[in-house]
Amino acid sequence: MPRQNSRRQFLAQVGAVGAGTMLPTSRLVAAFGEATRPKSRVVVARDEALAHGRLNEHRDLLSKLLDAAMQRLTNAPDAAAAWRRVFDPGDRVGIKVNTLGLSTQPAVVDAIVNGLKQAGVPDEKIIIWDRFDVELARAGYKLNKSSQGVQCRGTDAEQVGSGYERQIESSGRIGSCFSRIATHQIDVLISVPVLKDHNLAGASLGMKNFYGAIHNPNKYHDHNCDPYIVDVVSHRYIRDKWRLTVCDGTRAQYNAGPGRHPGFAWSIGGLVVGTDYVAADAVAADLLDAQRKVKGLKALADDGRPAKHISTAAARGLGEADLGKIDRIEV
Amino acid sequence: MDDLSNLFCQPTRRDLMRWGVACGAAGALCHINIEGAVAQDVAGGLELAGPRLKGVVRHPAMFWEKLDENRVKCVLCPRECQVADVERGYCGVRENQGGEYQTLVYGALCSANVDPIEKKPLFHYQPGTTAFSIATAGCNIECKFCQNWQISQFRPEQVESVPIDPDRLIAACKARQSPTIAYTYSEPVIFYEYMHDTAALAREHGIGSVMISNGYIQEEPLRRLCRHLTGVKIDFKAFTEKFYAESCAGELKPVLKVLDVVKDIGIWLELVVLIVPTLNDSPDEIRRMGEWVIEHLGPDVPMHFTRFHPTYRITNMPRTPVSTLERCRRIALDAGVHYVYAGNVPMHPGENTYCHNCQHELIRRLGFRVRFNRITDGKCPNCGTNIPGVWSQEQALAFKPRT
Repeated sequence: MPRQNSRRQFLAQVGAVGAGTMLPTSRLVAAFGEATRPKSRVVVARDEALAHGRLNEHRDLLSKLLDAAMQRLTNAPDAAAAWRRVFDPGDRVGIKVNTLGLSTQPAVVDAIVNGLKQAGVPDEKIIIWDRFDVELARAGYKLNKSSQGVQCRGTDAEQVGSGYERQIESSGRIGSCFSRIATHQIDVLISVPVLKDHNLAGASLGMKNFYGAIHNPNKYHDHNCDPYIVDVVSHRYIRDKWRLTVCDGTRAQYNAGPGRHPGFAWSIGGLVVGTDYVAADAVAADLLDAQRKVKGLKALADDGRPAKHISTAAARGLGEADLGKIDRIEV
Repeated sequence: MDDLSNLFCQPTRRDLMRWGVACGAAGALCHINIEGAVAQDVAGGLELAGPRLKGVVRHPAMFWEKLDENRVKCVLCPRECQVADVERGYCGVRENQGGEYQTLVYGALCSANVDPIEKKPLFHYQPGTTAFSIATAGCNIECKFCQNWQISQFRPEQVESVPIDPDRLIAACKARQSPTIAYTYSEPVIFYEYMHDTAALAREHGIGSVMISNGYIQEEPLRRLCRHLTGVKIDFKAFTEKFYAESCAGELKPVLKVLDVVKDIGIWLELVVLIVPTLNDSPDEIRRMGEWVIEHLGPDVPMHFTRFHPTYRITNMPRTPVSTLERCRRIALDAGVHYVYAGNVPMHPGENTYCHNCQHELIRRLGFRVRFNRITDGKCPNCGTNIPGVWSQEQALAFKPRT
């Protein structure tokens, strides 16, 4: 598009926002009825034990914690019911992890897979994915490209370049080819970012995670990645499929991200879980800023890198960014 | 010979015939199949295959500074990207690994063709000769009308590439008897290290090097590079910051500075302006551009106004009317530029070269082919006027930067 604010673009954007406003919670509304609709609820689920030792030794604990978070999120009577309120057995689910720098812990993804199983989603309909096979493997994921079991692969798993759509998709200011995993191989997305600092975007959380779904994220880091992050997640390939954010705070980083920097490692001993992906990011960013304050660092906004995309997403009606209006629950 | 060996070993008689025919018909741009099945050179009728790269190459980058917390600042181009550990710059081909900046495309060629030099286009640089033309993935701006977006707007992992070190490239160029290597198609500034090393080596072997660039580069790397180059073509996208910002994700000011530096260096320069209807074709803008060229570069820098075809992110515009190109050409001529061309319009008289003094037709072109060239010893045979340009390999290789 030659002009950023052409009439056609404006109309397209308004249309996208209008369609996207209800999506994060629309399914839950259908499940509960309006009276019990969770209003931008975000659950911060913690267990001190998760902050210490090897995470692999706490797999059961992680699953129980996530189940508890899902119950509180959905007001369901038990864990299985909670997962069923968000996922159907027929869903093809893509679990988008973040393996650039400090990575999503495989144990957290295992807990999500366990939850999906409770909802009746068969293993074969679950894909754990990110950009590159090599980054997934480096982060401790066992690649599986067979038709048996939970699949795990990068967009680059096929021939060079073939993992992306061939056509450029425009959304707001971005023009990108999307991963074919996101466009054709799944119906439902779960974003599983790491709770971490980002030197340009401020925070790399659930929305920023989908930079890994486009072929050219390097083009969209100016202006604190804003509004580009929101442009990416506003696209129907993401917006229409995204149902849940599970932000991994078991191994977090409060400064100098996204690369791993042990000097700024930290843990909340848990997860940030929400179906309103703007609210989930807002709460996670708040946790990040709180930790920076504890360590005597400037808040992200005062450090010249506010996570502007969160408020931009809210301004476009994609979710709630006002912490005062978010139902934040600690488990 | 169906693969890489086509370009990178001695050609057979059949190859030469194929190549000769293809060069004559070389109107098409280089096409790279992003599906990765074939990295094919349509223009040259030759094909890259063989040992494709798995992943990326890693080579130390030039022109960057260390920052705190393992971050780096790239000072190769005006963007001056500040790049955190494990991240890449805007170009997508330069990556910070543990506080060390690396290029991921050193010798990772995704395109290699033997093109007429007119295709670059360079009309005053050894007309009728060929240029061994190469590219890697990546670009440091994003033109929404990019004709080669399938390689320029992708990262190296997403494009089929073949590792070719400078020695092999020189050997292949010699085998094809090309007097010139052209660094082109995507944006050579982003594969600066490879271009720099290859151009230096090429000179030792009697081969010239021309950079076909957007001019988005800082002064120091440009000056260092021009010690080895023999010609430069700069895409002068427009004469407004608005166009650069909205249509190219760049800025005009740094490009103007680069043009001043190129003039100061004294290397042969030609300018190309791709005219996109309604976006950069206003008579006033073209007039101001022409006046700037006269004031800063002088009347002897050729300007090419070329035709836009809908592509990439501008698909809702028609092709540039020929009358618009003719108008731009007339405005620039009236401003005092001696050699102004209409491009991407085969058989148009605006593709030919006329002596600026007596209007005698000096070079007639048909597309990228030269039908005749009457320039003799760099002069018009009719009036004896010196015609600006590089007319021999000896002249090309004799170039040394003035400053």
